[in-house]
Amino acid sequence: MNQRFDNVDRDTFRPALALPRSVYVHVPFCRHRCGYCNFSVVAGRDYLVDRFLNAIETEIGWLDRQFEIDTLFLGGGTPSHLSPANLERLMAAIRARFSLADNAEVTAECNPNDLDEATASALAAIGVNRVSLGVQSLDAAKLASLERDHTADDVHRAVERARSFATSVSVDLIFAAPGETRDAWQVDLDAALRLQTDHVSAYELTYEKGTQFWNRLNAEAITEADEDTQADMYTHAIERLNDAGLAQYEISSFAKEGHRCRHNEVYWNGRPYFAFGPSAARFVDGVREMNHLSTMKYFKQVEAGERPIDFREQLSPEPAARERLAIALRHVDGVECESFERETGFSVAQLLGKHGPSWQQDGLLVMDDRVRLTSAGRMIYNHISSLIERAVA
Amino acid sequence: MARTPTENIRNFCIIAHIDHGKSTLADRLLEHTGTITTREMQDQVLDDMELERQRGITIKARAVAMPVKVNGKTYELNLIDTPGHVDFQYEVSRSLMCCEGALLLADAFQGVEAQTVATGYAAIEHDLNIIPVINKIDLQYQRADEVAREMEQSLGVDADECVRVSAKSGINIDQLLEAIIDRIPAPTGDDKAALQAMVFDSHYDEFRGAITYVRIMEGTVKKGDKVQFMRSGTTHEVVELGQFRPQQTPCGALFPGQVGYLVCNIKSLEQVNCGDTITTVSKPASEPLPGYHEPKRMVYCGLYPSDGQDFKELREALGKLAINDPSFEFIPESSDALGFGFRCGFLGMLHMEVVQQRLEQESDVDLVQTAPNVTYEVITKRGETLEIHRPQEVPDSGEIEEFRQPIVRVNLIQPEEYVGAVIKLCQERRGIQQNTEYLSATRVMLSYDLPLAEVIYDMHDRLKSATRGYGTMDYDVLGYFPADLVRMDILVNGNRVDALSVICHRGDADRRGRAVVKKLKEEINQHMFEVAVQAAIGSRVIARETVRAQRKNVTAKCYGGDISRKRKLLQKQKAGKKRMKSVGNVDIPQKAFMAILDTGESNKK
Ligand SMILES: Nc1nc2c(ncn2[C@@H]2O[C@H](COP(=O)(O)OP(=O)(O)OP(=O)(O)O)[C@@H](O)[C@H]2O)c(=O)[nH]1
Ligand code: SF4
Ligand SMILES: [Mg+2]
Repeated sequence: MNQRFDNVDRDTFRPALALPRSVYVHVPFCRHRCGYCNFSVVAGRDYLVDRFLNAIETEIGWLDRQFEIDTLFLGGGTPSHLSPANLERLMAAIRARFSLADNAEVTAECNPNDLDEATASALAAIGVNRVSLGVQSLDAAKLASLERDHTADDVHRAVERARSFATSVSVDLIFAAPGETRDAWQVDLDAALRLQTDHVSAYELTYEKGTQFWNRLNAEAITEADEDTQADMYTHAIERLNDAGLAQYEISSFAKEGHRCRHNEVYWNGRPYFAFGPSAARFVDGVREMNHLSTMKYFKQVEAGERPIDFREQLSPEPAARERLAIALRHVDGVECESFERETGFSVAQLLGKHGPSWQQDGLLVMDDRVRLTSAGRMIYNHISSLIERAVA
Repeated sequence: MARTPTENIRNFCIIAHIDHGKSTLADRLLEHTGTITTREMQDQVLDDMELERQRGITIKARAVAMPVKVNGKTYELNLIDTPGHVDFQYEVSRSLMCCEGALLLADAFQGVEAQTVATGYAAIEHDLNIIPVINKIDLQYQRADEVAREMEQSLGVDADECVRVSAKSGINIDQLLEAIIDRIPAPTGDDKAALQAMVFDSHYDEFRGAITYVRIMEGTVKKGDKVQFMRSGTTHEVVELGQFRPQQTPCGALFPGQVGYLVCNIKSLEQVNCGDTITTVSKPASEPLPGYHEPKRMVYCGLYPSDGQDFKELREALGKLAINDPSFEFIPESSDALGFGFRCGFLGMLHMEVVQQRLEQESDVDLVQTAPNVTYEVITKRGETLEIHRPQEVPDSGEIEEFRQPIVRVNLIQPEEYVGAVIKLCQERRGIQQNTEYLSATRVMLSYDLPLAEVIYDMHDRLKSATRGYGTMDYDVLGYFPADLVRMDILVNGNRVDALSVICHRGDADRRGRAVVKKLKEEINQHMFEVAVQAAIGSRVIARETVRAQRKNVTAKCYGGDISRKRKLLQKQKAGKKRMKSVGNVDIPQKAFMAILDTGESNKK
């Protein structure tokens, strides 16, 4: 069952095949499930925490040796939902195979309500130095409609606490909630900016299949904001955050100087990463794998000594290069053309084909020593990325 | 096996409205005659095509020989199971020609329905002895007495002669077997006469070639005989012959009155025309049997590979299908919008669906299908008659002397309270009422003449919804009649998309044009630029809609898990069918090509 990584002599030109220096751990617990959320979450079933920690210990234990990593991301769900003792146990399981490099970035996703004194000191004790707070909004009505159980006051307290031990604090915000107006979003965003965090992730609400919101949308109990409203809200967010010193560095990510999330940049740069826990997705040795979304199925498989894989795919070089280019274009900085070609074996111009010149002409894409999208290009990122990826039959 | 004397043979078919229980009754007869043991039994044994099982309907006619002992005498009963759907009417009538009798089956609850009448009349026309059978008397709400009267009223059979059975529970099956022997006359024929064998069906066997289903009318056919197909003129040697019991069971010879199969090393079903007559080369019959005609394809549509590269594969797949289904026809065509593909002809809409479903199951080609249309006729100013199989073939209006469409006589049977709704439906579709008849105190048969184009697409669905499912319909083609028809074109960003043209009545053009462009607007995804969709007759634009340019299309989140989820989705989509065609710069999804069927009627479901 051991996963072996003894092939140390790797082609240094293929970063996707390099040894991962990042780890994601999915903690599937939440107090309750929010109506828009389709993450792998078991809400209100804390009696499963032990079973989860056992499974994580087993899954991580399958690695046959120790690795050094630069970034660790505890996501979910809400890792902050774990008790201090369980947080310690989780970190011990991770440390059994992974040692943190100097300056390693250790992020924990936290719900504002969870961040009491004890949890904060436990997080600090296990080495968390970056806190990503699931704030979503500071507006009472919007919070209620999103089925969040915290208030604006809770958020202020939580930010304060996070700052006491973390060197970087981020908040997640949602816009285009059902019924939300442009004005309301502007007010909400301003309130969030007054928190003065180092990082903001601003997401347009998406209606995911299998969520309450999806069902209600289909039953016409709620309506989705129209395209113009969404676009205006998004544009406003970009401008307002930039003005406030939070520069956009990815489609939904904004950071003060030196506060970009290094872990997420690993994804966008096509670098490899390990991942553990239900629904966790890894990219190791050029292979994408995703664990079972169902927490119970994940448990059963791990307990039976089987790798809990739901999906596995290894792309051949050209599709892999195309995917890498498409994902890199989410990043405001795009990708450096020369190193891209060296690392993937395909030139950017070749992959863009006829679209390259026409997108440049239309002001969607800029290409010098780097290739990147303009703000107009990012507005229709899905279109552009699908054309880049579609070009392979 | 000893030869059954001709006077102990009974040839019959079971005819009924769809779902009244023909196949189930056939099962019971097979069981009661011991042709199949109960252990071998599975429901609707004769429906062995996978598609028939999936849909629970009979598509191809089947034949089976059942030996049975009654009052010490051994009889051979030859049963021909026929399809119930109107598209396959031609197969029904071929089957009828091979029988002396017919079991006319009616559901004890549903009663007489449109195809009960249609197939009943067909049997009467073929001079068959009819045994009226009321099936499903086990049903709690059976109304067999009333149904017997309905049969008497609509078809003139004697209500007292109805045999009441339950095919499902096996009630009165022996009584029915006796009625078959008593009431259906034995075939006649001289085994010394020149051979006349009627070809009534065929199927293709990968290893042995065409299996030809025959009924011997006159003479004898033996293994090793050199035989001639009289209409197609081809000669072959009989390498095997036998009967269906229900598996193919070889024997040495087939005698007058018998039903069986011939294997002659024929490599394509094209050479086996149903309705043809087989005779021997050494002693040929002077004339073929009457009653042969080409199956008439009433519905055409274009089938295109969504990836032009797959053209060859599609051609192979269609070829394979045609081998097994001579009533399906395909010829290469090309479209500016869709590239190279095929114009395919079908007996009707169900036939079209069945063929398409088989194509999808049996080949990997992603298909783009154009909306089906009926065949039209145009008389040009120069006096030529053009058969129009697709809207693109319609000449300029200046060249048209007369534009003709197929008209059908439709019989609709429904409970009295729905007559008003059905009349309204027929009037909306330019129907002309011909007749009204009360089959019983509460059930009425309406006859209308309607354009076939108005009938085939969704008339059946609309009838069902107008009558809460109680109405049934059936139709017969009357012929081609002049009508005020036009070709309506669709333009996408100014380019005419030939595959979206449609022929419709001039008076309906505005309404349909508006409906179609509206539908297309929904089907065509937003592009980076504005997409104008217009409907036009000649150069006159009659409707327009605009698909707005896309302003924003960006997914907010893309982390490690999202990348994997997206890949998983992509893989699934690849496995499914991605049907798109690009016209100019505009991607048009497969569904859009069907949008032109939207009639713009207000009460569409
Ligand atoms: N209750 C009851 N149901 C029956 C009886 N005979 C048939 N059925 C049911 O009626 C349905 C249709 O029966 P089929 O034998 O497939 O009908 P069919 O006439 O062959 O149908 P097509 O070939 O599609 O025209 C099936 O669900 C049968 O189980 C019967 O005597 N009693
Ligand atoms: S707290 Fe976050 S992970 Fe948990 S249910 Fe709500 S949105 Fe989903
Ligand atoms: Mg049947």
